[in-house]
Amino acid sequence: MGYQFDVSLVWRTLPVLWRGVVVSVELWAACLVVGLALGLLVALARLSPLRPLRVLGRAFVEFFRNIPALIQLIWFFYAFPILIGAQMTPFTAAVLGISLNTAAFSAEIYRAGIQSIERGQWEGARAIGMSRATSLRRVILPQVFRRMLPAFTNRAVEVGKVTSLASVLSVQELMYQGRILSSTFYRPLEIFTTVGLVYLVMIYPLTWTSGLLERRMARTT
Amino acid sequence: MQSYQWDFGAVLAHWPMFLQGLGGTVAISALAILLGILGGGLVATARLSRWRLLRGLGRVYTEFYRNTPGILHFFWVYYALPVVADIRLGPLEAAVIALATQSSAFYAEVFRGGIQSIRPGQWEGAVALGMSRRRALVRVILPQAARRMTAPFVERSFEIIKTSSLASTLAYGELVYQGMQVASITYRPLETYTVLALIYFALLFVLSSLAKLAEDRLREA
Repeated sequence: MGYQFDVSLVWRTLPVLWRGVVVSVELWAACLVVGLALGLLVALARLSPLRPLRVLGRAFVEFFRNIPALIQLIWFFYAFPILIGAQMTPFTAAVLGISLNTAAFSAEIYRAGIQSIERGQWEGARAIGMSRATSLRRVILPQVFRRMLPAFTNRAVEVGKVTSLASVLSVQELMYQGRILSSTFYRPLEIFTTVGLVYLVMIYPLTWTSGLLERRMARTT
Repeated sequence: MQSYQWDFGAVLAHWPMFLQGLGGTVAISALAILLGILGGGLVATARLSRWRLLRGLGRVYTEFYRNTPGILHFFWVYYALPVVADIRLGPLEAAVIALATQSSAFYAEVFRGGIQSIRPGQWEGAVALGMSRRRALVRVILPQAARRMTAPFVERSFEIIKTSSLASTLAYGELVYQGMQVASITYRPLETYTVLALIYFALLFVLSSLAKLAEDRLREA
C-alpha cells in the first residue's frame, strides 16, 4: 500500500512555518548588515600598511573560514557566555556567530574587489587632493560594490542557508519550527518537504538575481 | 567578577572520544566525497545532455540542493526518506546519503564549469579526427578541464568536511557530537568547544596547505 501524503496537514502547519520564516528573515537581515559592515573593517585591516593589523585580519579570516559554522554558533552560545560572565539569548548568540562568519567571508570579497581596482584610480583621486580615506570612500568602494555585487549576492544566499543552523540553539526560525512540527504530528515527510520548498521560495530569487547580475556584467565588460 | 579558571586538562583527558569523533568525521567525509564525485559526474552528464528532459532534471536537482540549507537534507533523509522508500536508516547511512546527494549537486557544477570552459574548437578538432563524442570527452576535453577543476574540487571537499558536522544533529558520533558528550561529562563547554574548534582548524588548515602545495606542483608540471 502506498503512503498517503497528507496535503491538508501542510495547509494547517503553514501559519506556524510562517512564524519561523519571519524569524529566519530577521536573523538573515541582522547577520548580513552586521557581517558586511564588519567584513569591510576586516578587509581594511588585511590591506593595512601596518603588519600587526594585517596578521590579525588574516588570522580572523582563516579562523572563521576553517571552522564549521555550526561550531561557531555552539561556541558563542555555550562557551562565550562563560568567558564574559553574562548570559545571552539564543538569537543574540546566533547573530554573533553568523555575523562574524559572514564578516570573514565578505572580507575576502572586499579585498579581492579593492585589489581589482586599477592603481590609476587611487592616483587620480590623490591628484585632485583627496586623502586615502576619502578616495577609498568616494572613488574606490563605489566601484568595488558594483563589481562585487554578484559575489555579495552569493554570500547573502549562503547566509540565508546558514541561519538554519540557529535551530540547533533553539532559535525559533523555520528549521526549528519544522523539527517541532515533525515530532508533534509524526509526519516528517510532509513537514520536511514543505520546509524545503519554503526555503527554496525564500532563497531561489536571490540565486536567480545573482546569476542575472553575473550574466549582465559578463556582457558589459 | 572572579576570573575564569581554565582547565584544559579535564577536557583533554577525554582525548580518545575526540579521536573517535575525528574518525567519524573522516569516515563520512571520505565516503561523501567519493560518492559525491560519482554522483556529480552523473548529474553533470544529465545537465550537458542532448535531451531536454535530462537537462531539466539535472537542473532541478542542482538548484534544489543549492537553494536549501544542508541541515534540512540531513533531517529529510533521516526522518522522511524512510517513510517514502520504506527502509530503515541508521545515523551513519543517513548522514552519508545526505552529504553525498548534496555534494553531487555541487561537484556537478564544478564538472560542468570545467567542461564548458574548454573552447568549442577542441570538440570540433576531436570530431574532425574521427572521434566519437564520448571519446572526445574522455581523451581531449576532460584532461584539459581536470587541471582547471582541481582548485574548486578541493574547495568543495573542504566544504563537505565542514558540513559533515551537521551529522551531529542525527546523533552520529563525529567530532561535534563527541565534543557535546565531553562537554556534558566535564561541565567544561568553554574548553571543550575551543578544543573542538582548534581540531577542525588544524585539520582544515593542514589539508588546505597540502592542497596548495599540490596545486603549485601541478602548475609547474
